Amino acid sequence: MIRLENATKIARTKGIAKPIIDRASLVLKRGKSTGLLGRNGAGKSTLLRLIAGTIRLDSGRIIRRGRVSWPLGFQGSFQAGMTGEQNVRFVARIYGVDTRELIDYVADFAELGPFFKAPVGTYSSGMKARLAFGLSMGVNFDYYLVDEITAVGDANFKKKCQIVFQSRLQDSDVIMVSHSTSTLRDYCDRGVVMENGKLIYYDDIEDAIRAHDANMKER
Amino acid sequence: MNHIQTHLRVVAALLIREMEARFGSKPGGYAWALMDPVSHVLLMTLIFQAIAHAPALGTSFPLFFATGYIGFQFYQAMAGYLNGAVKANKSLLSYPNVAPIDAMVARYLLQFGTTALVAIVVLGGIIAFMRVPVDLYWPALIEAAFVGSILALGNGLINNVMFVKYPLYEQVFSIISRPLFMVSGVFFLPDSIPAPYKEVVLLNPLVHLTMLFRTGFYDEYRAIGLDTSYLYSFAFLTLFFGMVIFSFSAALLRNE
Repeated sequence: MIRLENATKIARTKGIAKPIIDRASLVLKRGKSTGLLGRNGAGKSTLLRLIAGTIRLDSGRIIRRGRVSWPLGFQGSFQAGMTGEQNVRFVARIYGVDTRELIDYVADFAELGPFFKAPVGTYSSGMKARLAFGLSMGVNFDYYLVDEITAVGDANFKKKCQIVFQSRLQDSDVIMVSHSTSTLRDYCDRGVVMENGKLIYYDDIEDAIRAHDANMKER
Repeated sequence: MNHIQTHLRVVAALLIREMEARFGSKPGGYAWALMDPVSHVLLMTLIFQAIAHAPALGTSFPLFFATGYIGFQFYQAMAGYLNGAVKANKSLLSYPNVAPIDAMVARYLLQFGTTALVAIVVLGGIIAFMRVPVDLYWPALIEAAFVGSILALGNGLINNVMFVKYPLYEQVFSIISRPLFMVSGVFFLPDSIPAPYKEVVLLNPLVHLTMLFRTGFYDEYRAIGLDTSYLYSFAFLTLFFGMVIFSFSAALLRNE
């Protein structure tokens, strides 16, 4: 379960302070996957990082029951100077999973060949995304926080991702940010729409998509 | 308990990552850590042997300079290495269980171990192979290594925040710290400086660091003017101040 209680987050840039989440409360129970919708700049990625715990609320609190992943993005969270393998080993160590096993899994999954032992800084964006996806799928979480990552690589690789991802969803949930409504329909059961600092919960993803579309038409 | 376990795991992972980055990426590895003090001591010995008959303490030029240089390095090498700790691990901070302080702790441990090892190899080498008789007083050595690194840690905590907040300060800091080597009693004894200037020189806490370190090697060294409580106060006040700034700047350090 993930619960936000009276959560407020203020975005500050160059002296302008704007609340992107304004005294919002929300409960996400286990067992269903959630799509996160909202216009550009509404703060969807920020909300994911708040749930992950990399950044803090200005007030209110977030309660997490279960293991929550880091926010999975295209670029991954890789250190450019370290090789793919070193990055994987680092993640295995900080999450306390078996290093050998994770390396074998990711090496096999990401299809990087000899580049697995080259610095991530030399990777193309596609290679980085494949490594990021393989790495995140290699660690077991109760909640996967996904920021526009599902469409990675060529058709074959996409298919492979989908199969792994679907099997992960058997016993894990996903909280997903995506601008593609078809992706959201594929993976998510319910939705949360972010608008003017409020989080509106919909039990059905279709309702959430409709509400989001209505918001977009307004302005 | 869980929190502490996570920190320990993350610090261990960062420690390995830093070791790989620092020593594993080029041929020679750890030998490079020795190159810096050895070349400095060698250079100073060559220069000073030409202009003086005996060092200010004892009979061995290499030991005199090595004690000064390595004592000083417990601060200087640590401060330099810690200054880049958070920046060098920026991407890894996007993992929620990696905290900025973990990067500092990992680098602190690695640098302390490195300088300690360098001290043992270089000073031990000089004592053993050049047959320099010394009366080691370990408490003073350990004390100096500890306080010097604490001062550097406090300094590093402050700088990691300040460098992000005020990029100009990074320039200013590097200009200020460059002459530290010259004025910190690495190749002279502050005791022998004439009166009005001596008081000024003793204001620099690093002078007390090198003096304290040398008292661990030279039995006959009286270290007039050495004020360990001044050094301690300075180090722990800096550490305290650094911890306060660092804790309150978590968001800034994670590049929010």
